[in-house]
Amino acid sequence: MTLARLRLAALVAVLCLAAAPFLVSSFSVTLLNYIGVYALVAIGLALLTGIGGIISFGQAAFVGIAAYSSAWVSAVSGYSPWLGLCLAVVLTCSVAAFLGLITLRLRGHFLSLSTIAWGLAIYFLFGNIPTLGNFNGIAAIPPIPIGSLKLSGSAQIYYLIWAIVVVCLVLSYNLLNSRMGRALRALRGGKILVESLGINAFRVKLAAFVIAAFLASLSGWLYAHLSTFISPSPFGAEMGIEYLMMAMVGGSGSPIGGVLGAALVTLLKNGIQDYLPLITKGASGELEIVVFSTLFILFLQRAPRGIVPFVARFMPQLRHVAPGTIAKLPVRAQPAPGYPLLIVQDVERRFGGLIAVNHVSFEVNAGEILGLIGPNGAGKSTMFNLLTGALRVGQGQITFAGQGICGQSQSHIARAGIARTFQHVKLRPRMTLLDNVLLGAHPRLHAGLLRGALRLDRVEEASAHAEALRQLARVGLSDDPFMLAGNLPLGKQRLLEIARALAADPLLLVLDEPAAGLRRQEKLRMAELLIALRDEHLTILLVEHDMEFVMGLVDRIVVMDFGSKLCEDAPAAIRADPRVQEAYLGSIA
Amino acid sequence: MAPLLPPPPTCPSGRTRAALATASLLVFGALCAAPASADITVGFVTSLSGNGSSLGIPYARGMAAALAYKSEIGGEKLTIIQLDDTSDPSAASRDARKLIEENHVDVLIGSATAPATIAMAQVATELKVPMIALSPVPIAGTTPEQWMVAVPQPASLLVKVVADRMKRDHMEKVAYIGFSDAWGDLVYAGAKAAEAEGGLTILTNERYTRSDSSVTGQALKIMATHPQAILIGGSGTQGALPLLNLAPLGFHGSAYGPASLVNQDFIRVGGKAVEGIQVSTGPVIVAEQLPDDHYARKISLAFREAYLKANGAPTSDGFSAYSFDGWLILLTAAKQALQVAKPGTPAFHAALDDAIFKIHELAGTQGVYNFTRGQNYGVDDRAVVIVRLVDGKWTYAP
Amino acid sequence: MDGTIAGFLAVDGIATGAIYALVAIGTVLIFTVTRVIFIPFGDIAAFTALTLAAIDSKKMPGTLGLVAALAILAFLTEAGSLARTRRLRQLPRAALIYLLLPLAVVGAVWAAIPFAAYEPVRILLALALIMPIAPLLDRIVFRPIASGSVLLLLVVAVALHFALVGLGLIFFGPEGVRTEPLTSFATDIAGIPIPGQSLLIVLAAIAFSLLLFLFFDFTVMGKSLRATAVNRTGARLMGIRPARSGTIAYLLGSVMAGVSGVLIAPVNTIFYDSGFLIGLKAFVGAIVGGLISYPGSAIGALFVGLLESFASFQDSALKDVIVFATLIPILLWRSFASKQIDEEVEE
Repeated sequence: MTLARLRLAALVAVLCLAAAPFLVSSFSVTLLNYIGVYALVAIGLALLTGIGGIISFGQAAFVGIAAYSSAWVSAVSGYSPWLGLCLAVVLTCSVAAFLGLITLRLRGHFLSLSTIAWGLAIYFLFGNIPTLGNFNGIAAIPPIPIGSLKLSGSAQIYYLIWAIVVVCLVLSYNLLNSRMGRALRALRGGKILVESLGINAFRVKLAAFVIAAFLASLSGWLYAHLSTFISPSPFGAEMGIEYLMMAMVGGSGSPIGGVLGAALVTLLKNGIQDYLPLITKGASGELEIVVFSTLFILFLQRAPRGIVPFVARFMPQLRHVAPGTIAKLPVRAQPAPGYPLLIVQDVERRFGGLIAVNHVSFEVNAGEILGLIGPNGAGKSTMFNLLTGALRVGQGQITFAGQGICGQSQSHIARAGIARTFQHVKLRPRMTLLDNVLLGAHPRLHAGLLRGALRLDRVEEASAHAEALRQLARVGLSDDPFMLAGNLPLGKQRLLEIARALAADPLLLVLDEPAAGLRRQEKLRMAELLIALRDEHLTILLVEHDMEFVMGLVDRIVVMDFGSKLCEDAPAAIRADPRVQEAYLGSIA
Repeated sequence: MAPLLPPPPTCPSGRTRAALATASLLVFGALCAAPASADITVGFVTSLSGNGSSLGIPYARGMAAALAYKSEIGGEKLTIIQLDDTSDPSAASRDARKLIEENHVDVLIGSATAPATIAMAQVATELKVPMIALSPVPIAGTTPEQWMVAVPQPASLLVKVVADRMKRDHMEKVAYIGFSDAWGDLVYAGAKAAEAEGGLTILTNERYTRSDSSVTGQALKIMATHPQAILIGGSGTQGALPLLNLAPLGFHGSAYGPASLVNQDFIRVGGKAVEGIQVSTGPVIVAEQLPDDHYARKISLAFREAYLKANGAPTSDGFSAYSFDGWLILLTAAKQALQVAKPGTPAFHAALDDAIFKIHELAGTQGVYNFTRGQNYGVDDRAVVIVRLVDGKWTYAP
Repeated sequence: MDGTIAGFLAVDGIATGAIYALVAIGTVLIFTVTRVIFIPFGDIAAFTALTLAAIDSKKMPGTLGLVAALAILAFLTEAGSLARTRRLRQLPRAALIYLLLPLAVVGAVWAAIPFAAYEPVRILLALALIMPIAPLLDRIVFRPIASGSVLLLLVVAVALHFALVGLGLIFFGPEGVRTEPLTSFATDIAGIPIPGQSLLIVLAAIAFSLLLFLFFDFTVMGKSLRATAVNRTGARLMGIRPARSGTIAYLLGSVMAGVSGVLIAPVNTIFYDSGFLIGLKAFVGAIVGGLISYPGSAIGALFVGLLESFASFQDSALKDVIVFATLIPILLWRSFASKQIDEEVEE
């Protein structure tokens, strides 16, 4: 399926939506209105929870803040609902930004629970504000005017609701295909990965959180003027859970899934209300929720990832068109060969009483491959983490390209020009090879959220695509850039990680055991690649366990043992050094 | 989980939705064809689940009794379509639209919580269908009153009567504790109004939720103000909680409350702690103790009989009687409206609305109803009696 | 606020907190073994109380039908999965465990109810009837998705809770119950009365957290249950069956929920939907305790109870706002205090 046909399909869908009020009954339009209103929240949750991995139970509270803002402006104070929209969006996003700043640093369950906590706190607050009508709420909320037309009937507000839904969908997909969107999609890979790519994970999380709140605020505004009456109850924990259910059922990783989930949940509830009395006779109200929950559980047992991935299996794969010739991204000047690029001075790191790295010093000069080797437990990994900022340096100094980098964050160090790979490959298996490499280029690009969502970043994106394809070609993976990274064998995954690191245009490439787990043939290719990179004047620091792999490859070797530097020399001299042999044999014995 | 990129086609969803909607429309059409022919169709929304269900279920039983009492007027059959609003105003609003737009009902009756009732009233007004509200909603000075009347005694009336009783009993310092919900707000507002008239002081405004396990904190605060009496703005079983918690703290004052406390489970759970409480309620609760010439005696006994027939058990609460009175209002108005227009037409809806607002001195189980334009409520002082809990039985205490 | 009032509030808070603690401990037990945040735990506790109240008033509790229906469903699920994996030879065993055993319990309880003259007997009957519920729910609902993400398990648990609340309303009606106190004993400290029932709850919470702590740290079965929680695949390689561990955890959990229900019912009015908020607040306590340690969860739950009690005195209308807003700084503190490495989010 090509992009043109995809656009055609989307156009047909929009036309179907536009024609719906003429084809279906007025109550079906009412249902569609509610679906649209719920879908906005679910789209936000698809971004926040499905893609960003942040489980939020509190979206209903955001909807409530927006609904009450607009109701207060229009019904209580008598101003235009459009002014209500302004207040709704500004207030909701401010509250979200404030809550996000406080809570988004929380981990795992703490974060989910905090969303329940502030969600409920806000909900209980609504009923205690006299100007907002306490628990009896605000009635007779005026309809939204457009010019002289008042959107009071179901069919009239329908177009406004669905226009907003469609626009938000398009913007969400644009965003996901942009620089910030890729960063968002990388979040679930864990903080270490994201930060190593020069991405400030917290800021990305905060952005996703505020976007989800923004969508919720649109939903709340529409809800207030659609139902013309609001009270606290639709903004409580149950609705927060239901929004999450919608996003889950739809396929929590895709915005369209939010729309489908909202539709499925709403139609299912309505269908049960219609058909259950025919089966059970008599009081069936109590049974409705039982039947609904049971069907919901059954559905998730059959399709745990939701509708979209379930259906996508039966759909033709999208073909991608490679971009043409475009302007290249700017490139950093590599330092002159021999320049001491990285200087490690007397670095120490303790864990409690244990000295993991004990006063180690060495230098990496521009244009060379330096091997850092040592037996298990020698402190190599700790050293590696100190260099990349994953761990804090206890004592001593690390200087990179003339700047001290001790105490700086991982993402800052990454941006300074140190790109790394991982011993246990960290890729985003459900993103394409191209997107994985594009992640590496994140610090070189500048498009923010808005430019991404509005597709104002296309020129830059085209350059980035070209650059990513060039890096894929450089490591020999240009066959199918649109394949999912998870489908690659381990050897190629390691190459892909190097391509991703190269896309950052680094001054120093730091590789963590790149040969681990590779077969002989793969090791040879890896070595060839690294030598070719050095010949292009790239500086490489290799932390490796595999002596044989290192010996034929590097210019110099630093050997560590029991946290201290044992010696430093050319490979041949190291091979002959009895201390090194003892260290390795000793470790075996 | 990564998204499918670029955007997956949106088309199937739209088509499916349209197809689903069309299909449901066809099915609805087929389903609704029969009752829409000539009968009077009544849309009844109540809370069969959610936190309003302890009121909503009695409402449903009362409606069953009403249908058993009389299901035909002026040669037209009355049919009820009952929907659950799960105690959620959004669902109530959707239910109301569904009943009017899909089922073409002639009148709406409902619901169990005030917010849900207001939400329904908004729809009734928009779509111009008369509505008989079963919950005491706050009187809004807006258009809904044109199409909505409320059956129950307004909270202000219930509280006023009980406040008068407090004054008669020389209770000057009264503590208030109620639910933190719409009902708690209404009762408190009524109490403040009574305070403004003089004669008693409301010392506290303590709140608790239906799901609270203990109100010891609130009880301590109440005790600190040394009240002579306590006014409870709760409902059902959980209305007993304040007294259960006050008893161990040594509270010996009197207890008062509005009709929402009248319920068998309140007595069962409250036990000795609630003995002696005085409650303002509709006369139906003590129908058999009323004097023979009381307006509510005969109709209340008829209601009880119908209730027993429909539900296989005697009534034990005051809520179900509201449904029954709503039905009486409908029957009276429908008889008039049928002479003007055929059911199922906008003309009939308007005629029914007119007829409802012309109802004069209609005796029900809970009060005597007189509706006039510009007023949602149709009952007066005759709709409230004071009953006292004596030996676990509600006793008429004039 | 003077000392006496603070004392009253403290006693009240500890009594409420101990209830949360009981439920929190059970939640942690099930979570550590199965990764499921078992929201319906509170519902099962409430069902026990409602069942006991029904037995007390010589009525047949709806739980009888519920357990029977669950047993049939669980057996069908198991039979289906056996058929798919061509292990139909194990069918008789499955029938025994999932069908006959629960049905035997239902039958026995049904036959015994009219003769249960003493409260302890009635309590035992209620507990026996409740016991199969969680393991059966596990077989029907959770085992097919045992390897799913924590989010999936959580959302399914919430859906299950909704279903149970609906069933509770059908079986037990919308009104609440209180049962007879187990003890009429009461004492006081410095003039502040302490009901015996509350003492019992506190004792039970302490006993359970201690017992579970000992069970998990010092018995082979406890250790193998914990191994399942840490690494399902690893545990399977060591010959521990995660499914069986799950069943044991749910069985233990069911009993704990039952005991909690029996203990709570005399001091709290229990409704068909009381379980959720008790469960939620217990869950809050469990998280404050780190969601791994039993004594920690119990202390966290006690803290929530105390917070609630003092907040309701401070400003009863804003009680929940105060409670939940206070939680956020505590969560911040707990999150940064707990030393865990950046966990990989599952795909």
